[in-house]
Amino acid sequence: MVNKPRDLGSAHSGFKDWYWQRLSAVVLAVLLPGAFILLWCVYTGALDQFGLLDWLDSFVSRLLHTLLIVALIVHAYMGLKVMIEDYVHAGLRVLLIGSMLVMMSLFGMWWLALIWAWGG
Amino acid sequence: MAIKHAPLSPRLSIYRWFPGMVASIAHRGSGVVLVLAVPCYLWILHGMTGSPQDFDAAVALLHSPLGRLGLWLASVALIYHFCNGIRFLCLDAGWGESRDLMRNSARVVIGIAAAASAALGVLLW
Repeated sequence: MVNKPRDLGSAHSGFKDWYWQRLSAVVLAVLLPGAFILLWCVYTGALDQFGLLDWLDSFVSRLLHTLLIVALIVHAYMGLKVMIEDYVHAGLRVLLIGSMLVMMSLFGMWWLALIWAWGG
Repeated sequence: MAIKHAPLSPRLSIYRWFPGMVASIAHRGSGVVLVLAVPCYLWILHGMTGSPQDFDAAVALLHSPLGRLGLWLASVALIYHFCNGIRFLCLDAGWGESRDLMRNSARVVIGIAAAASAALGVLLW
């Protein structure tokens, strides 16, 4: 029985990455299908603009969208980071991961501002 | 210099193709599609919460050939990533780790995604 994770690698943070990747996955598994169902309802005409705003223009919806964006950014950052680490050599790697994190943070803040403003 | 040119892990060209390996690669592929699709989702949603003209334009965009292709691609990617993600979580929890179960569960998620892509394709065209 191993109580503590061993062999964390040179950065000593592998377990934390692994844990956050799974935690955000569970949040996304609950929330992201809802987002797609909303989009499909508008596509098929089941929801018109008033119907859509009834769903979006509420405190709970804004809160859930905020949670969705945060989980998305954590999950996408971790996932793309692993891919870059697998396929990109060391020099370019740091630049790519760093600029990805900056872009995702900016995108996230911009979208939080929009989410809390939409529907007026 | 030898280290700089050392091959990086997953060396795609030398592996034999197995269902589990295909499932893992497809998980990465669908993940990248979703990373690109989510900004589009939020952008479309932003249009839909604007003026009635913005809403109509966003709906028209969704119904355009490009919009439908995007909706199809993103939805298939979501369904696959969702199913295989649950498979990964089960494997992490220690369920289904035997070689046969891993292969068969990979076949099941790939099958679900194939069926969903066909069904959504019929729905959209």
